[in-house]
Amino acid sequence: MSRCIGITLRRHLRRQTCWAYALLILCAAGFAQTKSDAAADQPEARILADFGDRVRKYLQSRQKAGGSPKQAKEPEKLANDRKQTAAKVRVARTDAKQGDIFTPEITGYFRQQITATFAGPEGPKVRASLRRAEPVRGIVLKLNAAYPATLPRQSTPPTLLLNLPRLPKELEYRIVGRDLALHDTVTNLIVDFIPNAIPAS
Amino acid sequence: MPYLHRKDVPNPRRSAAIRSLLPMALFLAALTGFVWHSRGPTSVAGNVVPVLEATLQAGTPQQANASGPELKLPLEEKSVRFAVIGDSGTGDREQYDVAKQIEIYRQKVGFDFVIMLGDNIYGGHSPKDFADKFEQPYKPLLDAGVKFYASLGNHDDPGVERLYKPFNMEGERYYSFQKGDIGFFVLDSNYMDPAQLDWLENALHNSKAKWKICYFHHPLYSDGKSHGPDLDLRAQVLPIFKRNGVNVVFSGHEHVYERLKPEEGIYYFILGNSAKLMTRDFSSTQNMVVGKDTERGFMIVEIAGDNLYFQTISRVGETIDSGTAGRQAPPPTQSSR
Repeated sequence: MSRCIGITLRRHLRRQTCWAYALLILCAAGFAQTKSDAAADQPEARILADFGDRVRKYLQSRQKAGGSPKQAKEPEKLANDRKQTAAKVRVARTDAKQGDIFTPEITGYFRQQITATFAGPEGPKVRASLRRAEPVRGIVLKLNAAYPATLPRQSTPPTLLLNLPRLPKELEYRIVGRDLALHDTVTNLIVDFIPNAIPAS
Repeated sequence: MPYLHRKDVPNPRRSAAIRSLLPMALFLAALTGFVWHSRGPTSVAGNVVPVLEATLQAGTPQQANASGPELKLPLEEKSVRFAVIGDSGTGDREQYDVAKQIEIYRQKVGFDFVIMLGDNIYGGHSPKDFADKFEQPYKPLLDAGVKFYASLGNHDDPGVERLYKPFNMEGERYYSFQKGDIGFFVLDSNYMDPAQLDWLENALHNSKAKWKICYFHHPLYSDGKSHGPDLDLRAQVLPIFKRNGVNVVFSGHEHVYERLKPEEGIYYFILGNSAKLMTRDFSSTQNMVVGKDTERGFMIVEIAGDNLYFQTISRVGETIDSGTAGRQAPPPTQSSR
């Protein structure tokens, strides 16, 4: 009788030990997975942080040049404020060149995000929206140049915006032909751009 | 259950029957002294379908340009009244013609604000452009203290227009305001970024307004072939509208007038013809209740209690469309995000 109880107890203990081992293996696997995910995320986080810094630096220089404009009843005042701020920003960024904000690494990240958006489930809707949004063609983008006042602006598909890094209030991603521009709405200047960022349809 | 008075849905058999009875009806009307009142051309894709209805209002005919403008709004006490214009800022003669009609109706209706569905200033944005394309055509309205609440179209310059005080945008690309029980949510459909989507969800969710009206430039539904519906925009904003009980959506962009079938309980209007016009623009009538692509126009709207009354008027003062929309029941559950 006592022998029988002993065997049952041993079996029970063995089963519990097995479960404990299994749990340990699972935890270890999970930890390893998390660690590898974090490692995979690190370059992306670093790229995003770098992009954020570069955008912030641009805004600081814009702030020094003229700050945020105020509301006015007179269009003359609005036009003059913009003109003066844009002129100061141009002077402050005389040495700026394409790729200062969209560095090769950041550009690579953006291209990856854009490709994923167009290849994703919402891709057809995004393409349809772009086709119907009065596509702007024939403009050669130039750094520090004003976006032509007489041209319409093509709407940027919301799904694409969900997949790109968020921008501060007065900056926008603007699609011009197949290029993606970083546009300052206050000064109306092209801050930087990625040529041929949008896949050909 | 949302409803629209659909008296004006064209029915070819009915129209043919009416046409065949027309001479006799006119003869009887002349005999009896009844006033037969045409509701104006209800047009689908440019095909005018005359619909006559008898109104027994002897001695008080409401006809355009005869004894004042034809009016379809009840002008109830304490109602909220406003006008709607879209794609208006060309500075061309047609814009001025429409503006004149708006002023004629303002004197009759007494609205004190106008909502703008985008493309407020086409082309350049110099001080002269603002004068020619906004300040001059709407001078009588501005002088009378009428306020304009602008949304941004693809021809607008956000950096300048959001700061232009007469557009009442308070320096923002998107914003909201309230008149009586009616909440207006003004969106920038050119750039529907995550920040704007978050703002929209919160603003609608926190609003206690009885009516929630959204307006922006690009239509979510449209039978126009120049642009058509913005499917990606629809995919992002429609769930937010539905979750938060939006009642009515006004858009421009397509240079026509179109009243669409309510979709999932929301009424849709396109009015992108307050200066520009794209004739023969309708590719289908799939979503259409009433469409007009042969004339420019504007809308006047009155909201009284649970009813929204609307009248769409051409640049020569003809009524293109009119009707009543009942307020939909709010969504059964709170917005879940």
